[in-house]
Amino acid sequence: MKRTALTQKLLVLGVDGMDPKITRKFLAEGKMPNLQKFIERGSAREDLRLLGAIPTITPPCWTTLATGAYPGTHGITCYWRQSPESLDAVVYNMDSRNCTAEQIWNITAEAGLKTLVWHWPGSSWPPTSHSENLSVVDGTQPGSVNMGVAQLDWEKVIVASPEIKEVRYAPRVDKPAGVGCIITDLEDSLDADVDDEMMELWWGDTAREGGEIRTFVMDDEDTEVVIGSKVAYDIVNSPLKDATGWTNAPEGAKEFTILTSGGVMRRPALILKNEAGEYDRVAIYKNKKAEAPIVTLERDEMVAGIIDDVTKKEVTKPACRSMKILELDPLGNKVRLWISNALDIANDQLWHPKSLFGEIVENVGVVPPVSLIGGEDAELVREIFEPSWVQYNQWQADCMNYCINEKGYEVVFSHLHNIDCAGHQLWHLGKTLSPWDHTDEKTYQGFIEKFYIQTDDYLGEFMHLLDEGWTVLVLSDHGLIVGENVPPIIGEYGGLNTKVMEDLGYTVMKKDENGNSIREVDWEKTRAIQIRSNYIYLNIKGRDKYGIVDPKDKYDLEEQLISDLYNYRDDRTGKRVIGICLRNKDAVLIGANGPECGDIFFSVEEGYNRLHGDSISTSEGYFETSVSPIFVAAGNGIKPGFTTERTIRQVDVAPSVSVLLGLRYPAQCEGAPIYQIFSEDV
Amino acid sequence: MSLQQLNSTGFEEIIYDNCEPCLVIFSKKECHVCKEVVPMLEELKPQYDEKFGFYYVDVEEDKELFQRFSLKGVPQILFFNNGEYQGKVAGKVEEESVEEKIAEVLGV
Repeated sequence: MKRTALTQKLLVLGVDGMDPKITRKFLAEGKMPNLQKFIERGSAREDLRLLGAIPTITPPCWTTLATGAYPGTHGITCYWRQSPESLDAVVYNMDSRNCTAEQIWNITAEAGLKTLVWHWPGSSWPPTSHSENLSVVDGTQPGSVNMGVAQLDWEKVIVASPEIKEVRYAPRVDKPAGVGCIITDLEDSLDADVDDEMMELWWGDTAREGGEIRTFVMDDEDTEVVIGSKVAYDIVNSPLKDATGWTNAPEGAKEFTILTSGGVMRRPALILKNEAGEYDRVAIYKNKKAEAPIVTLERDEMVAGIIDDVTKKEVTKPACRSMKILELDPLGNKVRLWISNALDIANDQLWHPKSLFGEIVENVGVVPPVSLIGGEDAELVREIFEPSWVQYNQWQADCMNYCINEKGYEVVFSHLHNIDCAGHQLWHLGKTLSPWDHTDEKTYQGFIEKFYIQTDDYLGEFMHLLDEGWTVLVLSDHGLIVGENVPPIIGEYGGLNTKVMEDLGYTVMKKDENGNSIREVDWEKTRAIQIRSNYIYLNIKGRDKYGIVDPKDKYDLEEQLISDLYNYRDDRTGKRVIGICLRNKDAVLIGANGPECGDIFFSVEEGYNRLHGDSISTSEGYFETSVSPIFVAAGNGIKPGFTTERTIRQVDVAPSVSVLLGLRYPAQCEGAPIYQIFSEDV
Repeated sequence: MSLQQLNSTGFEEIIYDNCEPCLVIFSKKECHVCKEVVPMLEELKPQYDEKFGFYYVDVEEDKELFQRFSLKGVPQILFFNNGEYQGKVAGKVEEESVEEKIAEVLGV
């Protein structure tokens, strides 16, 4: 059966972590005028909600959006996949070849529509169709384009003053809030494992080849909200003194030293005076003999696209950086400077076709790095983290508009990570709980607002398409909540959660000489483990490598475990923290069943949730936040100014795209078109 | 001919500010391998006269320099030109490999 298309051009504007509940707060305050226009010109529910798939985790939800299938069906059931070899390890999962459902973009491309899939973190890379109409950019990690493969050097803060006597370098310092950037004890600040960069561990070549990742979440210190709020960057301390030995140093300039590339690259820099005799600029040079600087920075301005050589593992390549002055004493007695991580400007590994990379670099610009530092350091969030995303958003919007306007793409599936990235670093600080009572929730609620405002600016970059015959879908994978309580040690997506399961006697860790648990499972005594966001695996004889549970006891043990989980009480509040528990066969009710979902699915109860992932998809948090995703549609084929009462599920998006473009449904689709919002009866 | 020792300040001035092509061996007094490699460099030095600098850093006296280059163990010979790091060779190296690396740095 052939259907008539309701539109010829369609853009999906995906914003990772965008929450309809808090969006409505900012809309009501008039802070998101562009989204307001999309709503007025299109269709949505009154509450703007999309009913999210479960788990409320990035790759499963983006895959559901792309396939119209539930996670139990498409097989992408958490950030990572269970290791086939070990119950306590996970393996990389953002590989389209793990997905057992058909992606909608293969259908659009194969139907002759020129299709772009831009940084979609759920079963997009590598491309799964040979159609020459399909272009795919990255999608191997959620962060930003090329983040997983092109990173050559880490972020740094340089502090120079006359009191500092020699150049010192401290790589990857975990800096708690309130501690300055002066290196006092280098021995203590050095981390022996600085080579094990998170980016590479999670998303690098080894991970993508299937290497096992073992992460144990044993207490609060291992949780993402605690780790994420510490700020890790390289610190460089340098003397600040009169410039000597320069070929071309302006009168009155003072010099300091910047180290990059794990300490092996050195760039001399000058602070410069203005006509009034105040120091107000920083110029960075390749060496003192250079005639002109690599870049001159002015106060309060983040400069992007600075190209300089960076050395990593003995290989030197040109890389792109951003930089900003954090502080410059007008009298020339102190300078603090931030420099971003460095991205290889020639890495086209994750671009298909590769020619698209060159066209983007030439016509829009090199891929800008985003900052990942901020956390509890409000100055860095305000001056660096948030503005770096504004720059990245603009670059991404320019890229997509270039592809639409100049390259003739007709269907675009896109993803932007700004809100989710900020959420993982900052949202928990939106309520002042005791572990972070040195911070102020009002400050962080202000940052949440800033990220929604920058998202609205990004959406505004595509408003013109509504007048050019396009259909635009604004949607997300999940929201993020500001936690009401410190979450219990169960349901953290990053690895094996031990505490609750140890308390209940199902997981047993090996002990040191003092009887304290160490980071190794005692398989001879472990009957079950909890790993990834929502899954419990029994340790079954004959199925699992070190299995001890007789398969005939499996049903009864599941029953006992479910009872024990419901009876478990949080040691801080004395309340129940487990939401729902379902055997694998029963979890089909929520689409979280099948071979990738363990023996028991469980959720953490509302009020105890971490940012997202451990809850059911209707959970809500502090400061008007929710874990729900958002959905707004506007443009050709969509009723203007229309509010629907229809419950719109994430599985309904892909079949709706099919109807709008007059194409067939994805093969494993379990959703139904949102026919109530279409401009014509279907 | 003995090698000139560099401390943190000397390192800045000679390696970076002067931009000359050079090598720096990071060594330790009590290290047996260093006791073989350092004399080899001392013998090699006159052949390069003004064209290539030969220096050493005692890692026990200048720990910061050792840490700054993220070095693990001694001896390690680091090469520089125009104030830019050009790579390193580690352990018990032969004269030929040092000569090859020097030629590479000098672009000959």
